[in-house]
Amino acid sequence: MFDLEKAIAEWRRQMLAAGIKTPVPLEELESHLREELERQMQSGLGIEQAFETATRKIGQARALKSEFEKNDVSIGARFVELTGIAWGVIAGVFSLWTLLLLFTFQEANWFGRMLGLVAIALTVSSWRYGYRVLPVIRHQHVRTVIGFACCAASIVWMGTFVKLILPSLVVLPMKVDTSPTRLMVSFIWAWTVAATLASTAHGLKKVVSRQDQPAIS
Amino acid sequence: MIRKELVAASAEPLILSLLARGESYGYAIIQEVKARSDGKLQWTDGMLYPVLHRMEHRGLIKARWGESETGRKRKYYSLKKDGKAAMAKHHEQWSLVHSVLAGLRKEQYV
Repeated sequence: MFDLEKAIAEWRRQMLAAGIKTPVPLEELESHLREELERQMQSGLGIEQAFETATRKIGQARALKSEFEKNDVSIGARFVELTGIAWGVIAGVFSLWTLLLLFTFQEANWFGRMLGLVAIALTVSSWRYGYRVLPVIRHQHVRTVIGFACCAASIVWMGTFVKLILPSLVVLPMKVDTSPTRLMVSFIWAWTVAATLASTAHGLKKVVSRQDQPAIS
Repeated sequence: MIRKELVAASAEPLILSLLARGESYGYAIIQEVKARSDGKLQWTDGMLYPVLHRMEHRGLIKARWGESETGRKRKYYSLKKDGKAAMAKHHEQWSLVHSVLAGLRKEQYV
C-alpha cells in the first residue's frame, strides 16, 4: 500500500540531502508538490502515479539546489556589502554636514559652494548609476575580494586624509590656501573619493543581479 | 516547444506582468503561463522558486505567507514599485523586438 505522507517525507529527505535549505524553499516546494498532487489525482491518476508525476515536474534536487545557490550570499560578501553601505552612509552624512556648514558660512564664495555641490552629486551618482560602468564578475569570491579591497582602500584613504593631509593644510598656512572654504571643500571631496570607492562593493553585485538570466526550463 | 533561452529570458517579464494583476503564488503562476501559451511555454515547476526568490532579493517583488482555501500554507508574491518599473522596461524592450521582427516579416511578403 502506497503511503503518501511517507513518500513526501522521503522526497523531503532527498531534497535536504541535496542541500535545499529549510525552511523557506523546501516548505514552498512541498506546498507546490501537494497542489500538483491534488490536481493530478483530480484528473484521474492513482495516488502513486500522481506522486511520481508531481515530483518529476518539480525537477531534480541537484538542479534546483544549483539554482537556489545563485541566490546565496556568503558571509564575506554580506560583510563587504554592509561595510560598503555603512561607509557610504558615513560619507554621505559628513559630506552633507560639511556642505551645510559651507552654505551657512557667510565668507564662503559661490565657486566653493558649487564645488561642494558637484562633489555631493558625484557621490550620489556613483551609488545610483556607478554599477553601469563596472564589469560583470560572476564569481562571488572575486567580487568579495575586490569589494573588500575597495572598502579597505576607502578607509585607508580617509585615514590618510584626516591624519596627514588635513593637518598639513591647517599647519602650513604659508604654503597652502587654508581658507575655511577651501578646507570644507577639500573635506567634502575627500569623502566623495571614499564614498565612490565604497560604492564599488555595492555596484559589483548589482551589475551581476541585473544581468543574470534564470535557468527555468 | 519554445527554445529554452527564450523561455529563460521571458520568465521575469511574464512573472512581473502576472503579478501586476494582483498577488499570486508559484503554482498559480505556472498554471497561468501554461494556459496562456497553450502549454508551449514549459517551465520546470521547481525552477520558478529560485527565480521568484532572486526577484524578491532584488526588491522587484515581495512575499508573504498565507493560507489556501483548504488551509494549506502558501507563499504569496506581489509587485513592488521597482518591479513595476522593471516591468515597464521589459514591455518597452519586448515591444521593440516584436515591432522590428513584424516589420521585417511584412517586408518579405511585399
